[in-house]
Amino acid sequence: MFAFNTQLELRRITISSLITCIYLPSIVTVISYRGSLYYVGKGSSFYILVLIFIAELLKSFYLSAPNDIQGKKGKTSKTKASDVLKSFVFLLGVNFCFFIGIILFGAPVLDLHEETLMLSTLLTILTIFPLILHSGVECSMQLLFGVKSFARDTVVEMLVNNAMLTVCGAWLGAVVIPLDWNTPWQQWPIPCYLGAIGGYLLANVLTVFKATLMTAAYKYPAVNFLVMILNKLRVSK
Amino acid sequence: MKEKWNFIFYLIWFSYLIMSAVLMFGHGFLLSRKTMSDITECQHLETFDCSGRERGNSSIEESCTLDEKIKQILSVTGSPLICAPSHGRVVFILVDALRYDFTEYDDKLENPLPYQNRLPVMQRTLELCPDCVRLFRFIADPPTTTLQRVKALVTGSLPTFIDASSNFAAMELQEDNIIDQVVNAGHHAVLLGDDTWSRLMPRRWFRAHTMYSFHTWDLDTVDIEVDSKIYDELKKDDWDLLVAHYLGVDHAGHRYGPNHSEMKRKLDETNARIEKIIEIIPKDVILYVVGDHGMTESVLHEMDHKGDHGGESKAERTAAMFAYRGAGFGGQSPDIQTGREVQQTDLAPTMSAAFGRPPPAPSLGNILFPVLPKMTVAETLLHLTNSLKQVSQYLVRYGEESQQVSLDRLAHLINATREQIEKAATVKTEDDLSIYVSNVRLLMDNVRIVFREVWVEFDTVSMLRALLLLILVIFFNWLIVEGIPIERLPNIFASTFVSCGLISMAICVSVCYTVFHFELLEDVHHGVILSTGLISSALTCVLVIMHWDGISQRWYEGRSPIYERFARGALMASAAVLLSNSYIIEEGAELSFLALSVLGTIAWNIGTIKAFTLWVGFGATLVISRSYRGCREEQGDCWTSIGVGSTGQASRTALVMALGSMAAVVAIARRHVGWRGHGVVLAGLFACAHWALGWGALGSPSRSRQLARGSWLILGSMFVLLWKRERFGAILPLIVCSLLFFIANALVLGASFAPSAALGLLAGYLALNVVSMMKNGNSKFSLSTRCSSSVACMWALLASYQFYGTGHHATLGHVRWAPAFHAGDPNYLPIGPFVTGALVSLELFGMPFMFGAAVPLLALWGRNGAAAAGPRTQMAAVFTLCLKFGLCFAVRVFMSALSATIHCRHLMIWGVFTPKLLFESGACAAALLGTVVGATLTAWHVPTQIKPS
Repeated sequence: MFAFNTQLELRRITISSLITCIYLPSIVTVISYRGSLYYVGKGSSFYILVLIFIAELLKSFYLSAPNDIQGKKGKTSKTKASDVLKSFVFLLGVNFCFFIGIILFGAPVLDLHEETLMLSTLLTILTIFPLILHSGVECSMQLLFGVKSFARDTVVEMLVNNAMLTVCGAWLGAVVIPLDWNTPWQQWPIPCYLGAIGGYLLANVLTVFKATLMTAAYKYPAVNFLVMILNKLRVSK
Repeated sequence: MKEKWNFIFYLIWFSYLIMSAVLMFGHGFLLSRKTMSDITECQHLETFDCSGRERGNSSIEESCTLDEKIKQILSVTGSPLICAPSHGRVVFILVDALRYDFTEYDDKLENPLPYQNRLPVMQRTLELCPDCVRLFRFIADPPTTTLQRVKALVTGSLPTFIDASSNFAAMELQEDNIIDQVVNAGHHAVLLGDDTWSRLMPRRWFRAHTMYSFHTWDLDTVDIEVDSKIYDELKKDDWDLLVAHYLGVDHAGHRYGPNHSEMKRKLDETNARIEKIIEIIPKDVILYVVGDHGMTESVLHEMDHKGDHGGESKAERTAAMFAYRGAGFGGQSPDIQTGREVQQTDLAPTMSAAFGRPPPAPSLGNILFPVLPKMTVAETLLHLTNSLKQVSQYLVRYGEESQQVSLDRLAHLINATREQIEKAATVKTEDDLSIYVSNVRLLMDNVRIVFREVWVEFDTVSMLRALLLLILVIFFNWLIVEGIPIERLPNIFASTFVSCGLISMAICVSVCYTVFHFELLEDVHHGVILSTGLISSALTCVLVIMHWDGISQRWYEGRSPIYERFARGALMASAAVLLSNSYIIEEGAELSFLALSVLGTIAWNIGTIKAFTLWVGFGATLVISRSYRGCREEQGDCWTSIGVGSTGQASRTALVMALGSMAAVVAIARRHVGWRGHGVVLAGLFACAHWALGWGALGSPSRSRQLARGSWLILGSMFVLLWKRERFGAILPLIVCSLLFFIANALVLGASFAPSAALGLLAGYLALNVVSMMKNGNSKFSLSTRCSSSVACMWALLASYQFYGTGHHATLGHVRWAPAFHAGDPNYLPIGPFVTGALVSLELFGMPFMFGAAVPLLALWGRNGAAAAGPRTQMAAVFTLCLKFGLCFAVRVFMSALSATIHCRHLMIWGVFTPKLLFESGACAAALLGTVVGATLTAWHVPTQIKPS
């Protein structure tokens, strides 16, 4: 997957991933107990997206909090309304792209727009939104269009990895839709929605797992072998 | 450049291996039956004199009773079939899916299930008048689908999934049947209900009130329609046979399963109907109420186990037969027992006998005397001998027409029937008769068992052998294209490998025929396919072993990039899901999903905006082509929302779209293909004119047909002109070839589906451009990227998708026959059936064919395509891609054959898996043919001398 540069980064990434591993399953559990799991595609369940949005926002504050004296100088003070607006527009654009992409992949063209929109919003929040929070609009655009490579930045690498696994999860979720089991959770877009959440969760679990292993490897060098294996399991090139 | 033809020969060899294995599989799996148009004739008793000989010109009036006359006739050997003197009237009510246990009545039952104790009328009449009522188990033979069952009931034979007959376009029954027998005797038949009957047997009915009934969700329409007519009909007396087909019970079973209150309601309705009918009909009219098949048991609280049918479980096969006649039936004590098992084949001869007619020609059933009026010994004998004579005629004729049953078995059966016919004259008393009846029944059962073996049972050995051959071919060829380094390929094919292979195949074939000539081998085709397949596998195996160092080195060194592994995985997934019926039903969506994903990973790997835009365009094309994708019956919502029978005349919009798409393609393509553009334009114009003139009221059909013929003529001549050598290399001819195939496709698809062909072409073009942008590393052209399996997999997925994209579905009902007649009726030509077959298969598989022909473009197209490289590299690249493309289709065919084998006892085997296998084999054959054409064209146009570069 990726290497951790500093001890501090390692700790931050581990803790933020751990938080994800806790809050996402809790949200899913709560909504499934409330019986609204089958309505995640409806506009009425928009509050789930808001919850995830807020959680990611809080997480990013922790993740990209200034860690040394140079950073303290005033990134926070520079955050302007124009930046917020720009990133909002960018997010909308990405959301629309996801929307189109999902339709290309086989979602109904003329109806069920609400459901498709909910799915694309979820994907946007889970993939691009943390990236923007971490590195800003320009930088994420450059990342997306391949102008800039992210090889050096561990956090960005982790976020890209999360995004990839999320999209893969949504893609895999479509597998169960054609089956003739006639279960309520086969309705569009529930499998893809849950697949995306599952993919995101998996990415975070893997991060935590790897961080734990690496910490252990300081004490027991034998564990390095496992880390090597995990390194081979990279998702992207 | 000797090897360039060796490449082509190897491709042909490979195609032969795949297709022969598929044929062998089909031979063992697709049970077929030869249908014959013979009709049983009988002669009237008046044409015989009292000595039992045919009366000549002499008009001497003799006086003898009927019985004596019949006995005299029977004692004459070789006497013809005789019409029985008496005939009755019959009301035949088919309650679709009436299972036997629906009819049982048990008043001790405390909590009856929804389907139990719903037909008390049967039990009550049985108690009132035991001689008037018979209630039997009516055993159906698989396949238990309604169409096959109706055929079985009227012909008395065992219909298979495919009844091979001379006229394969029409649904009309080609064989002799009860209705024909009744009508030929001058009686009248009336039909009420499902229009399966009137489509099977048109123009026979005195009156027919039928309704289209394929809406499985609709429980009542047909039943109400029948109810509104049947009671009036019953009161009339101008008919002799009244057929009524009630569908509600079957549809309730499909929709809700037997354990549902809807089933209760439908059975209660049925009960009321039977009660009313019994009240109305006169005493001498026979009433048969039968079920054509049963349904599977539904498990409570489980939605997916519905009351389906089609397979051969006990519950599906056991239907009910209820017979009622106010004046009483004949038959003796062990035979008339309630719940006795009788075969469905018995109905046809029995009903014929009720009309005094001999059984229909293909019938293999016994006459059921317990459900016929009481008869004298002589008359019974007359019926029995009629049935024996008919069966022996059928055996002789079937032996002449087909080699399915071995001759000595047939001869044995024929002798046995003749022996029984002669014995008939010795029967005098009732006791003799009952022994004789049971002997005849045994004999007929034997005959039916012999035919059952060839018509209903799979040939597992040849199926498994075919699967083995397929997997061998796929495995070794996969090793060759994926293992052996591509640089070595030209050398391998320049060597004697291919000629060795072809010579050994020729030796194999000749050895097989020699052995067959000396009668050491029974089935020569089987032997040829098996031996050539094994020899080829051995040869390729030797090749692989010889180059093992290269293979192991390549595998050790190279780890293919992620998109390539993904593409292989996607192809495997598309093949693996053929094991599941729900994925087969939704295969159109699944294939477009996978093709888009594979192209998406390729575009992601290229990573430029242009590639991404092309990918989006490709996706949009697939989305638009979704509107041409039809629905099949199993896709409930879609099927009911679109409705049935919407095809036919194209709408105005469809016509405009068709003209527009054709004009756009032709206009854009014209500029880039040189002088050949004129031919393309002309063919396109003719096609457009053909549609425009053929459309609606303003058209003139004859001129439209002539225009279509003109278009075909131009297409043909352009195809011949493709082989004119020019020095521009192979790309231009290949593009023109694809365009020609596109126009041909659009022509056969007709105006309403022609735009989908244009969409297919566009999707292919966009994908081609994405492929041509693939990163090549450092060199100008790299074989390993451009000929990677991801390209071939993507192309194969796209080609398979286009089958659905052009509005087809893998069901036999979706085969459109109209294309065969768009340029006039080919049946007047001496090669008529061939032309029909070619046009219909082009309409079905034209897209895989076109994509197959375009495979070489994948390697050659673009600025850094192989066209810039030397001819040897070009040919090697084209060959590798073609073989990979063929392998993709072979894998899919293998999986569908495997799924047919695994699911051969599955509920949906005839509805889903078998049609899928048929269409997949067709697509595979078309794709292989297309690749051979494309590769040959490339080999023809590849420059012979090596350019100095």
